[in-house]
Amino acid sequence: MENLKMLSEAIINGDAKKARELTQQALNHRVDPQQIVKEYLIPAMDEVGRRFECNEYFVPELLIAARAMKGSLELINPILASRGDKPAGRVIIGTVKGDLHDIGKNLVASMLEGAGFEVIDLGVDVAPEVFVSSVKEREPNFVALSALLTTTMPSMKQTIDALQESGLREKVKILVGGAPVSQRYADEIGADGYSDSASGAVGIARRLIL
Amino acid sequence: MANRHTITLKPLNISIEVTHGTSLQDVLFPHGVEFPCGGRQRCTGCRVKVLDGPFPVTPEQEALLSKKELDNGWRLACSGIVTGDIEIELAQWEASVLTDNSSFAFKPKEGFGVAVDIGTTTIVGQLLNLSNGNVLAVKTALNNQAQYGADIMERINYAISTDAKVDLGIILRSQIETLLIEMVDAAGIPRDDIRTVLLVGNTVMQHFFCGFDIIPLSRVPFEPEAESYRTAKRTPAELGWKFNDSTSVVFLPSLGGFVGSDILAGIFATEIYKRNKYSCMIDLGTNGEIVIGNKERMLCASTAAGPAFEGARISMGMRASTGAISAVQQTNGMYTCSVIGGGEPRGICGSGLVDAVSVGLRQRRILSSGRFSDTAKNWKLVSPVILTQSDIRELQLAKGAIAAGITILLKRMNSSIENIANVYMAGAFGNYINRDSARDIGLLPFPTRRISPRGNTALLGAKRALFLDDIEELQHIQHRTEHISLNSHPEFMDIFAQKMTFPEF
Repeated sequence: MENLKMLSEAIINGDAKKARELTQQALNHRVDPQQIVKEYLIPAMDEVGRRFECNEYFVPELLIAARAMKGSLELINPILASRGDKPAGRVIIGTVKGDLHDIGKNLVASMLEGAGFEVIDLGVDVAPEVFVSSVKEREPNFVALSALLTTTMPSMKQTIDALQESGLREKVKILVGGAPVSQRYADEIGADGYSDSASGAVGIARRLIL
Repeated sequence: MANRHTITLKPLNISIEVTHGTSLQDVLFPHGVEFPCGGRQRCTGCRVKVLDGPFPVTPEQEALLSKKELDNGWRLACSGIVTGDIEIELAQWEASVLTDNSSFAFKPKEGFGVAVDIGTTTIVGQLLNLSNGNVLAVKTALNNQAQYGADIMERINYAISTDAKVDLGIILRSQIETLLIEMVDAAGIPRDDIRTVLLVGNTVMQHFFCGFDIIPLSRVPFEPEAESYRTAKRTPAELGWKFNDSTSVVFLPSLGGFVGSDILAGIFATEIYKRNKYSCMIDLGTNGEIVIGNKERMLCASTAAGPAFEGARISMGMRASTGAISAVQQTNGMYTCSVIGGGEPRGICGSGLVDAVSVGLRQRRILSSGRFSDTAKNWKLVSPVILTQSDIRELQLAKGAIAAGITILLKRMNSSIENIANVYMAGAFGNYINRDSARDIGLLPFPTRRISPRGNTALLGAKRALFLDDIEELQHIQHRTEHISLNSHPEFMDIFAQKMTFPEF
């Protein structure tokens, strides 16, 4: 369907208005919402991720593309939920205690949503106890932790330790990221996955859920 | 195995004898090698070329340096442990530090005084005869703390980490003492005649110097110690300095968040606080600070913007020193590069980077999104200096943060660009940056004729403060200045992202 190819284009170009219009049109024409997500939204966000990886896109383009995709998902998600369709997986994401930076975290959240995951965003400055209680309540597949400051990185470890102490550690996979975080640090604190980019995080989540 | 080894630094032929197992970081820092990430093999700021001798490659170096660089002997100095005689090429790394030469009106006083501006990267002090205002000695130095981290967050992180081997407060206080003694000796006056030592610096430097608890500055809401808002007075005995107690040591109060007394002194020097019309002061140091206001009210904010402007995180970035491309000029669709010292270029400094991007935008090599217009991965500026796509991205982050800060302060002030009568550029970078280029890339969105470089306003303000009858006068400025935390502003992310793009040409 030609209109839907244009939906992918609209998202890649960050045209939120058009993306919403085309999504609504498709839904009106009884296109399966799952098909819209799988065949048009996910490939569009994959393309956005690829362009970011090779430095063709930067934060502003990524943000507007994510916003366009969110607009589409707002129309689609209620239908999927009412049908009882299962998402690719559930992720609880947040910037750790002491840190207010949310651009990176929001990008990862958007990319995961675009990849068909259900994302529960706890926001910024999230205390370990809050992660623990959310994991208890929502039973996610993943907990994704973000930190931008070298001084707040230790909060990542504290969060993982808190999950361990509550006996929840084995129930989830933990993903970490943020400018000062490295693979070595991720290994040191016992995280399951690390990525230095938002699109990389999606790849790791897809791999770990298998 | 020999217990002692010789390190030879080429081309100066300096030989240093050290014991087996000595870390190269300790040896090379005094010779000007910088360690932006604090020596944790996370950046390439300390790369040196090993001409001869043992220096194994670690996985971290393999990740950060190309195969070709490694084959040619490039290594990260921070990972080096001396296990044999070694010869290292060390291009001289002489950084220029901005002092202040301006004249000002003052009321004469008895005795001598010293004003010191403690920057994250550089420290500068001047010794003055308070009876005639003459500067008798000037001393500049790289902040000795720099080997434990390039920016303030790295320093805090080092200080609060459990494996910190040194106390950064002690390092700073003893470096200032050394600087004072050198100035007193150069001026040829007795130590006891120093009446006041007046210090300014950002909040982190103040906390280290005064011995305040640094932990609150490590996390949200980054609220300094309550004492930070008062003028701190110390006796030489308290500081462990070999000066008589007739010398009083004063650290001026901070304004809030990371905005310290260097900015307070800058407001004092530029006299923003005396005018009806709005002024803006921007200090583009390792940390970027912005003040907007008039005699009624002033707002200030800080942003982590500086590294790119100081050449950090730029693939061939360096400080404004010998061999740095410091300016790029457009000429008939071509361009020319100016190199500090006039010799072969070996890197690019902040002012050169801003110029190059401005030329790139005008020549459509760079699009307003920041992308190179062709498929080339980098721009060969002039051999061997190249700009990569990531270098442009780093500049976009830095300039986006400053421009977003200006926008948010103006909004909070219910004012706009047109209402700002004067824009003062503080600090070394403000002195060298081309104002037209800064406007072209959207860093300083003001008409260029309103922008004027003011040099080291922190030092000038501190010097003028030496002549005040009552130092508390400065607290009136402080009371009228409100600190705004940019990160917690609800619109920050949107404005920041929006300001990352370049203006259209």
